[in-house]
Amino acid sequence: MEEFEKTLSRQQAAIEAERCLYCYDAPCQVKCPAHVPVPEFIQSIRSGNLHGARTILQSAHPFIETCGRICPEEAFCQSVCTRSKIDAPLRIRELHRFVTDSTDPSDRMELPEPSLGKVAIVGGGPAGLACARELRVRGFSCDVFEARQVGGVPSQEVSTHRYPREVEDREVRFLTSSFVANVRSERVTDVKPLVGDYDAVFVATGLPSESDLNVEGIGLVGVYHARDLLRKMKSGTISGAGNRVGIIGGGNVAIEVASMLREEDPTRDVTVVYRRGIKELKAFKKEIEEATTLGVTYQFLAIPDKVVGNDHVEGLEVTQAHLCGEDESGRCRFEPLPGSSFIIPLDTVVVAIGQRIDEDVFPGLVRSASGFISAAENMQTSMPGVYAGGDAVHGAQTVVEAVRDGKKAAEQIAAFVAGGK
Amino acid sequence: MYREHDLSYDFLGIHLENPFILSAAPPTDELDMAIDGLKAGWAGVVLKTTSVESNPVNLKYPMMSSFGTAAHKLWGLGNIDLISQYHIDEVCERVTALKRMFPTKMIAASIMGSQKEDWQSLVKQLKKASVDLVECSFSCPQGSMGEAPGRMLAQSVEATEKVARWVKEAAEETPILIKITPQVTDIVEIARALKRAGVDGVTASNSVPALIGVDVETLEPRPSLFGEGAYSGMTGMAIKPLTLRTIAEIARNVDITISGNGGAYSWSDAVELMAVGASNVQFCTLPMHHGFGTIRDLKSGLADYLDRKGCASPLDIVGKALKNIKGQEELVAPCSHSDIDLDKCIGCGNCFRACSDGAHRAILWDAEKRQPSVDAEKCPGCGQCMQVCPVNAIRMKEELDGKVHYFEFKGTR
Repeated sequence: MEEFEKTLSRQQAAIEAERCLYCYDAPCQVKCPAHVPVPEFIQSIRSGNLHGARTILQSAHPFIETCGRICPEEAFCQSVCTRSKIDAPLRIRELHRFVTDSTDPSDRMELPEPSLGKVAIVGGGPAGLACARELRVRGFSCDVFEARQVGGVPSQEVSTHRYPREVEDREVRFLTSSFVANVRSERVTDVKPLVGDYDAVFVATGLPSESDLNVEGIGLVGVYHARDLLRKMKSGTISGAGNRVGIIGGGNVAIEVASMLREEDPTRDVTVVYRRGIKELKAFKKEIEEATTLGVTYQFLAIPDKVVGNDHVEGLEVTQAHLCGEDESGRCRFEPLPGSSFIIPLDTVVVAIGQRIDEDVFPGLVRSASGFISAAENMQTSMPGVYAGGDAVHGAQTVVEAVRDGKKAAEQIAAFVAGGK
Repeated sequence: MYREHDLSYDFLGIHLENPFILSAAPPTDELDMAIDGLKAGWAGVVLKTTSVESNPVNLKYPMMSSFGTAAHKLWGLGNIDLISQYHIDEVCERVTALKRMFPTKMIAASIMGSQKEDWQSLVKQLKKASVDLVECSFSCPQGSMGEAPGRMLAQSVEATEKVARWVKEAAEETPILIKITPQVTDIVEIARALKRAGVDGVTASNSVPALIGVDVETLEPRPSLFGEGAYSGMTGMAIKPLTLRTIAEIARNVDITISGNGGAYSWSDAVELMAVGASNVQFCTLPMHHGFGTIRDLKSGLADYLDRKGCASPLDIVGKALKNIKGQEELVAPCSHSDIDLDKCIGCGNCFRACSDGAHRAILWDAEKRQPSVDAEKCPGCGQCMQVCPVNAIRMKEELDGKVHYFEFKGTR
């Protein structure tokens, strides 16, 4: 699958870099969860020092190939770019991507002997690997436990038109080789046995399971979980979805699966069924644009009531919604319009309404009201020496936020281990 | 459709319909190009420098190079060009043809020789072809055709005066301009020598001898001809400040007509050259970059400017800025400090950093509000902050004997 977005040419990048104001205490860098030194790497693009630019990115952030492609820039660096007060914000993410696409990973990383301690990291996604790299740089050795493919959500669930396989390979291979993380293909469901064997544990499992929709007919043949389908398609397996697909949800997973289903079969109708309006979609702007380009359509203001069918899905019965102000959190409220029900004829229904951690895993770790793992400001869980971060603690968030958590956890774990010795 | 402001005036007795002339350079090296330029609206041409038949002209290509940034490629243009490969007979034919086609335009030719006989025969032949004016190149950066090989004629006061006398003697009433180089110890001495020699004016000035660049990967100079290169003559925007100084310095010290040349890229650049003493302005890099059509904006921009300033003729601006140019020691120092307009400020912090690392540490920074402020006690008003401000929110407030004056940023158009 060809990528939607092309890398900037050298000339485009140089011209764009000239627009940078090199702000003092730059807002873009402050806003980036990984605090990538944005003006510095752009300065290096401008001077033609692309390897220097790469080193700057790589020092701040282990997932630079990924974030150069899928970071929702409108939520972070670009949202605060001072240049937008003159004309338009810098295309920071695209400049970042230009650097990673124009250079090879720098192998100049200097690693100390891993003599300070041994840490178990549960989960080989962005948060886990960021933590592992940071700890390795600080002189720890790490075992990363990952039951699925190393790399986490980007590797397993992000469409290849946004995150191509060869880019992913380059990133993950570099990450798992450069700091010699020991990856163990094991599923960990209880951290207690690890506590004795390791100086500390970092839980960064992400959200392995999916929320269910409690409506009649959800057990019919032809109803799928969105992330199951994403993983299937990403691994090269045919999804098995039909010709008229309805996707329930309005977040990034819903849009991503809609796009991938259209890519898989451009003749199939794919409709995102969402309770609120277009403005309320939670997915990132760029993903919505790409889905639109791929021909994904929408049924807004539609509350799913029932999956219709005998054995197999034949449709989705919905009630028309009415938007009515905001709740305390500022979220748009909606209510059903009585007597407005109608049936959307479908042969496949995909549920994309949220993600969670199963209740029976990690006994002993206190959970939040939302069912996520509770962690204090210093990222420690209810169990001493056990830290947690990433989606497992905060719910679904971005790669760069997971990286921030991983880096921060490493700092806390290093302090904890040093204190105990 | 619109009334055209009359930009015409007399220059050394020659009618100019506007002050904008195509200089002796590639744009005037072919007859049809000169015709197109004149048709587009340029007031005159100086045909590319010619020589006697016996003079071989060995051009080396590629001859052009440049430097700049990705968004502004052409701050400076360099060439290792020589004079025209067309010799005097051909140029005389062109002069006659152009004069016949464009009787109201200035048809000038540029010459370069070595012996007295060359210089004088070139002038005489051009006179016979009814040329309006002859410009003499004493300053081709690649030329070693003056007295001392490897040097430009206009780098020697004595040689300049001697050759200028030869030329003027042969020219009689035909106006003579001498094109000089800015790369001399004292430009005033050269201008005085030309005044003594009795020529009609000076073209200030030619391209600046320069090394345009070195490729850091291969260590080849630019331009590179199989890995080797020579010094270039540099033109374009980068040299305008050098030209301004050269013209101003001549005009402040010597009573001689000046044709401005070197670095003008717009009507306002031309106004600057004229304001410090040039009576007209020659262009080469601008048409080589953006074509002959640039004349339309030069004319309308100048016409609008003259309207705004209430000037009847372009001559009204010639030398008008000179009275404001002084020696640094003559300046009165007002009490001055930086004045930041926070309504315009976008909070980038460039002024703070520039002042902190490169000036007087007189700008304070409110990190919370992302806002600079000036410590008037510490700020002497050096003006570096206003150079780096991307939105021109900073000016220098100057006070002297109760009077206030603001010095604002005017570095870009």
